[in-house]
Amino acid sequence: MNRNYIFLTILMLVLAVGTLFLTGSDEPKQIAPEELLQEIIQPTRYVSTDQVAKMIIQGDPSLLMVDVRPAADYEEYALPGSLNIPLEELLNDGNLGYFGVPGVKVVFISNDDIAADQTWVLTKRLGIDGTYVMKGGLNCWMQTIIDPTQPDADAPSVDHELYAFRKGAQIYFTGAESATPEGDNVEVQVRRREKTSVAAGGC
Amino acid sequence: MHIHELNPWRTLIAVSVFVVVLIVGFLTMPKPLFEYQKSMEESVEALINGEDYFYPWELEDVIANKPDSIVLFDIRDNFVFGQGHIPGAENLSASTLADPDNIKRLEALRDMGVTIVLYGADELQANGPWMFFRQVGFNNIKLLLGGYSYYKENEADLYETINDDAYFKGMPRYDYAELAAPKDGADLNADQDNKPVQVRRREKTSVAAGGC
Repeated sequence: MNRNYIFLTILMLVLAVGTLFLTGSDEPKQIAPEELLQEIIQPTRYVSTDQVAKMIIQGDPSLLMVDVRPAADYEEYALPGSLNIPLEELLNDGNLGYFGVPGVKVVFISNDDIAADQTWVLTKRLGIDGTYVMKGGLNCWMQTIIDPTQPDADAPSVDHELYAFRKGAQIYFTGAESATPEGDNVEVQVRRREKTSVAAGGC
Repeated sequence: MHIHELNPWRTLIAVSVFVVVLIVGFLTMPKPLFEYQKSMEESVEALINGEDYFYPWELEDVIANKPDSIVLFDIRDNFVFGQGHIPGAENLSASTLADPDNIKRLEALRDMGVTIVLYGADELQANGPWMFFRQVGFNNIKLLLGGYSYYKENEADLYETINDDAYFKGMPRYDYAELAAPKDGADLNADQDNKPVQVRRREKTSVAAGGC
């Protein structure tokens, strides 16, 4: 056989062996770091507690809440319909499958927003879209939805509208029965004038 | 008979040129600005271990002594930075973080062994950039807990905050289960100014009053 053919065959074999090393990386698919940085510096990933409350109340089927707190905290209290994926279990098998489903908005929830934001950055690095962070987390949820404070009487009307919504949401989430304003229950007692035996003057 | 069999050297020359082109291509390939230095697992682990935070009370020393080993970077935008910032901090707006010049600066600081402290309006703003830089190999970057807002509130006595836990994130501030427990409806409306209607009764007069 020609010397050149042998030489070329050896070269092909060496290159073929080389490709084995190329695919040796077991890191999952990731977006370029520059792209990740661009995504990070945009604040579009934040949703408010009011938006989340509204979606839950309306039964938005595209909402998937993911609670990133430890399992023990999740068992004690969690938002209705939320799923628990603690930060340390994020990369465990199957958990990443919840994210990046077309048409599903994943909202990360933690005590504050830091752990949720960290989860967001990690999922973003994997190129997952459609993930959000509930700004303020559960602490803010308690302040705004579960125990809203009434705005001052001279606050702008939008504040009062927001408060009215939050009051409604509070009743929804605390399972309280519809309340009737207390004022209606007070019986207004009208005492009639007693007839006087003496003849009154006048007409 | 193939054409290269006429000149056995031709094949060898062609292969050599091919290999040289490949090598030159690899060597001159533009290097990306960043590369991930931490794998996903390492990143998660670093977060769980709570590494590389900078505490507000540590600022006391930085402001007073201006050590060369620590540089503060303010990632808020230029306008807000102008309205007030931590003394000695430099402005590095989030939108300019990816500028090659800024990255060179950060790399130079890293090579000099200088600690970089990032802060934003709150901890959340700087959290993303901080995580990013940790993942691309800037191990000298720390995150200021509480951000600028916490610093501003406690400007007067930063050292006192060593005993404060208000700037710690990730802690429940309420007993969720108790606060969100089902409540009596009347309870919820307690703040709605439903004061009982007060009926003022006419006072009886002993004397026969005139008129209707």
